[in-house]
Amino acid sequence: MEDKMLEIRHLKKYFQTPAGKLHAVDDVSFQIEQGKTLGVVGESGCGKSTLGRTILCLNEPTEGKILFHGKDLVTAGKKERKRLRPKMQMIFQDPYSSLNGRMTVRQLIAEPLIVNKVCKNKKELEQRVSEAMETVGLAERLSMAYPHELDGGRRQRIGIARALVLEPEFIVCDEPVSALDVSIQAQILNLLMDLQEERKLTYLFITHDLSVVKHISDEIMVMYLGKCVERAPADEIFENPLHPYTKALLAAIPIPSVESCHKRRELLQGEVTSPVNPKPGCRFAARCPFAKESCRSGEILLREVSAGHFVACNQI
Amino acid sequence: MVLKIENLSVSYETDIEVVHAVNDISFSIEKGETLGLVGETGAGKTTTALSIMGLLPERTARVRSGRIEFQENDLLALSEREMQHIRGDKISMIFQDPMTALNPVLTVGEQIAEALILHNTDGYTQKEIEARVEETLELVGIPKERKKDYPYQFSGGMRQRVVIAIALVCNPDLLIADEPTTALDVTIQAQILSMICDLQRKYGTSVIMITHDLGVVAETCDKVGIIYAGEMVEYGTLYDIFEGDEHHPYTVGLFGSIPNLKENARRLHPIEGLMPDPTNLPEGCSFSPRCKRCMEICMKKKPAVYENNGHQIRCHLYDAGMQKAVSENRKEAGEDGR
Repeated sequence: MEDKMLEIRHLKKYFQTPAGKLHAVDDVSFQIEQGKTLGVVGESGCGKSTLGRTILCLNEPTEGKILFHGKDLVTAGKKERKRLRPKMQMIFQDPYSSLNGRMTVRQLIAEPLIVNKVCKNKKELEQRVSEAMETVGLAERLSMAYPHELDGGRRQRIGIARALVLEPEFIVCDEPVSALDVSIQAQILNLLMDLQEERKLTYLFITHDLSVVKHISDEIMVMYLGKCVERAPADEIFENPLHPYTKALLAAIPIPSVESCHKRRELLQGEVTSPVNPKPGCRFAARCPFAKESCRSGEILLREVSAGHFVACNQI
Repeated sequence: MVLKIENLSVSYETDIEVVHAVNDISFSIEKGETLGLVGETGAGKTTTALSIMGLLPERTARVRSGRIEFQENDLLALSEREMQHIRGDKISMIFQDPMTALNPVLTVGEQIAEALILHNTDGYTQKEIEARVEETLELVGIPKERKKDYPYQFSGGMRQRVVIAIALVCNPDLLIADEPTTALDVTIQAQILSMICDLQRKYGTSVIMITHDLGVVAETCDKVGIIYAGEMVEYGTLYDIFEGDEHHPYTVGLFGSIPNLKENARRLHPIEGLMPDPTNLPEGCSFSPRCKRCMEICMKKKPAVYENNGHQIRCHLYDAGMQKAVSENRKEAGEDGR
């Protein structure tokens, strides 16, 4: 593959808890090409946010390699990291708690520029901030407003402006629209897609909403309890899901059309088991309707079943 | 008819401002029916639910006009004491956030029993109440041995089941579900929704399903009301709303905003702008500032309700020249890929 912007190899992140080792991200590998979007889906607690944070080294990874343009971030020194990090940014989930309530919109957007000492003088700084505000559709008159005066959609635009102002190449979007109403959600999704086209941005798009992920992604990765269970191009995963968990996840989406009225469906029973000291074998085995004895032991590896379609299941 | 609401208007009044939360909403529910109330944050869905329950904050909320008729009683005319007999017994509510709706220092068994003890008109003994609690727990899919557990020992989905058990323990005639699955994952959401539907079929309960998710509506509801800025802008059967030819522009916008799994549209069609400030609603139609098909009259006069076979739309497009509006709407719907 060309233009391999980001490559993750066997990334692991374990947390030490009183009950044992919590396997938040367990041996995940993938790569993203420049200008593409990888969507990461899964239920709460499956490690998707930890994955996003670990890639940006906001959590120190336990094991594995994070190659950004071929440079390994994990082993890179402080200086090297400082040079690379402005190119990788993050948009946070909750626009209500991720902004400092005592800073004005202008200060919030200027902060990354000041921290990274990007601008030579005040004039340039002002200029960059104004540009960023315009790009994300924030009116100039709001520059002196505080976050509490603004609604969720506008606040999320501030978050996007903060990520964009350093002109990054790669952005981790951690559930950027899940706290917003549908009509606002659509505005933000369109904005993110416009920016991607304009600036050839690369996204890692984390969400639990499958219809959103299909809309924005080129490739989709489904996670379950820290493991990647299936990865394929977006259309492929919706047309031809192979892993039982992916199938169950897709079947559970309520579809807004009359046909789904009072429809009976195959439902997944039970809930996500604990990621603390997981048992060997397939992590989904406890809820899987097709689980066999062989699923409960040994390592289940991700295999390529057709071009670009990877799945971790013994029975396929 | 189980519940009938006529011209309900509710506002929150403080010294500084008056928030017009609900403006002239009317609807009714038959026995065993599910009504979906759809709208965005701040549209007045929850205020409508709270006024049925008689749980509006006393100091600030004021019901300006309207009638809420429940089994031939006007709920708004009842005293607090009389209301207590109905609330939790005949009408009950599932709250949105299962993480905060439960009391953390009482076991779930005690919390479910509380409703029964308060509404113990049949003179159940302690033993019978315990038996009923266990029965209800099993009904919502929790092993009865867990009744001695505290809320923190349950996961989000299980806690929502406990909240549902509390709402169902007295066999209510009307169940109000306020975003019952918003805080939950999709697979758990599917379990909870199918459970609510099963229970409804079993006991003939009427349900008001408050949600912003049109997918949830399609799966559970018989009738749908679309609420915008405290007004019911469109009301009809599920078929009217999802497949009908006539729509309020807001409904069209709402459908354009959701990514469709079946189609491959590259861009969504969001509604431009924001909800109007409920302290300062625009004159005329409250959707007019965001409406693509806004006319001069829309900014001056409140639209009247247009009705066609029970399908109600509150929009000036349908004032006169109905046929013209319909054909244009069809065209627009086609363009939006609906």
